[in-house]
Amino acid sequence: MEYHHTSEMNGVVADYFSMCNESERNGLCREEKHSEDAADSNNLCHIEKAYSTILSELGEDVAREGLLRTPLRAAKAMQFLTKGYKETTQDILNDAIFDENHEEMVIVKDIDLFSLCEHHLVPFYGKAHIAYLPNKKVVGLSKLARIVEIYSRRLQVQERLTKQIASAISEALEPAGVAVVIEAAHMCMVMRGVQKMNASTVTSVMLGRFHDDPEVRKEFLALTMKK
Amino acid sequence: MEHSKQTQYSSNEKKDTGDGGSVLNGHFDGMVKRPAGGTARAAAAPQAPGAESGSHRAATSVMESWKEERTRSVEDNEMSLPSLAAAYTTILRGLGEDPQRQGLLKTPWRAATAMQFFTKGYQEKIIDVLNDAIFDEDHDEMVIVKDIDMFSMCEHHLVPIFGRVHIGYLPNKRVLGLSKLARIVEIYSRRLQVQERLTKQIAVAITEALQPTGVGVVIEATHMCMVMRGVQKMNSKTVTSTMLGVFREDPKTRDEFLTLIRS
Repeated sequence: MEYHHTSEMNGVVADYFSMCNESERNGLCREEKHSEDAADSNNLCHIEKAYSTILSELGEDVAREGLLRTPLRAAKAMQFLTKGYKETTQDILNDAIFDENHEEMVIVKDIDLFSLCEHHLVPFYGKAHIAYLPNKKVVGLSKLARIVEIYSRRLQVQERLTKQIASAISEALEPAGVAVVIEAAHMCMVMRGVQKMNASTVTSVMLGRFHDDPEVRKEFLALTMKK
Repeated sequence: MEHSKQTQYSSNEKKDTGDGGSVLNGHFDGMVKRPAGGTARAAAAPQAPGAESGSHRAATSVMESWKEERTRSVEDNEMSLPSLAAAYTTILRGLGEDPQRQGLLKTPWRAATAMQFFTKGYQEKIIDVLNDAIFDEDHDEMVIVKDIDMFSMCEHHLVPIFGRVHIGYLPNKRVLGLSKLARIVEIYSRRLQVQERLTKQIAVAITEALQPTGVGVVIEATHMCMVMRGVQKMNSKTVTSTMLGVFREDPKTRDEFLTLIRS
C-alpha cells in the first residue's frame, strides 16, 4: 500500500491501520472499531490525568472553578489537534479522482493551516498553496485542502509537512508536477524563545515539472505569491 | 457599541464589590506556595476603589492582589520540571506518537519549559516591577500606551490567546514609567487566563499602583481554541474592555480614549 509508508505516519505505529485495511471482512472491522473506541477513551483518561498533573505543577489551583474541567477539555483539544494520525489519504481521495483532459496548472491557494510544533507542542499556523499539473487525472479541489488537514493535524515539523503533502498528491494522482508552498508563523518563536512577532517561515517542495522547468515554477510563484 | 459598554459597567460594578477572588485567578484561596509576610505590606496598601463595600476578606484580597502575587519561584520551577516532563511523555504516548523517535526525544522537556514560560506570570510580583518607576509629575492629560502585543493561555483548553492591549490613564499627580504598563500586561497575561479577567486585573493593578483619576484598558485578541478547533472561525476576534474612574463616568473621556486607540 503506497499510502502507509512509515515515514508518512510520523513514526506512528500503524497497527490499527494495517489491521483494518488488510481485513476484507466487515465483522473484523467492526470489532476493531470497538477496540479502537475503548483504546481512545483509555488514552483520553491518561492524557487527562497528565494535564491535571501539569496544572498543579505549574502552581495553579486545580480545584478552582475555571480549571475544574480543563484537563478533560485540554485532552480532547489535543486529540482533535492530532486527529490527522487516524486519517489516511486513501480514505478521502478514493472517490474524487476524475479523468479529465486537462493539462494546465491547477492551483488551490490560501488554504488555512493549523499544526502543532513537535518540539514544543505549541501551535504554528499559516497558509498552504498547492499546485499540480494534471496528467489526465484531476482531483476534487476540496481534497487538496483535506490532504493538508490530514498531515497538518499532527505533531509536525514544517519541512516534513510540506513534503508529505506533496508526496501524497504525487502518489495519488501521478501528475506531471506538484508544488506546495507553506508560509507559517510559529508560536514557539513568537510567544517564547527569541520572541519575534512578525517572523514567518516559508517552505516549499517542487516535484516533477515544477522542479525541472523554471518557467513553470515562475508561473506558479507569480500566481500564488501576489500580495 | 454604547449599549454593550453599559452592560459591561454594571457587571464590573458587581465584580468590584464582593468577589475579590475573581481578580486573582483563584490564587488567593488555593495556593500553598505563597511566601509568608504578605500581611504587613497589605496593611499598608492603599484602598482599592469599590473594595470597601465588600467583606473584609474580599477587601484584603483585592488590596493584596497587586502587592503579593507570587505563587511560584525559580526553585519551584526546577523541582516541577521532571514531573511536567513525565506528564508530557504520557500525553505523547496517549496521542499515539512514539516518544522515542528523534524529533520527540527531548520534546517533554522542551514542552515543560515552554509551559513554565507561558505561565511565568505566577512567578512575578507587581511590586517588583513597579516600585521604582512611579514619578511625581504635574500632568493631568491622558496617557495612552497602545498596541502592546499580548500572549496568554486559555485556561479552559490550554491553547494560546494572542492579541493587543491598549491602556490609557489620567494621572493624578503621579505617572508611571511607560514600559511598566507593558510589564503589568506581561505579568497578568503570562498565566492561565480568561480574557475578561485579564482586562480587569490590568486595570485594577494600575489603579492600585497610581490612584489615577481614571484607567481604561481594551484588549483585542484571537483565541486559538476558537480558531484551531471547536467552531473554527479563522477571523474572529474578541474585544473586552474595563473602564474605571472618570473613563467610566465621563463619556467624552472614554470617547477620546477609544478614538485615540483606533487611529
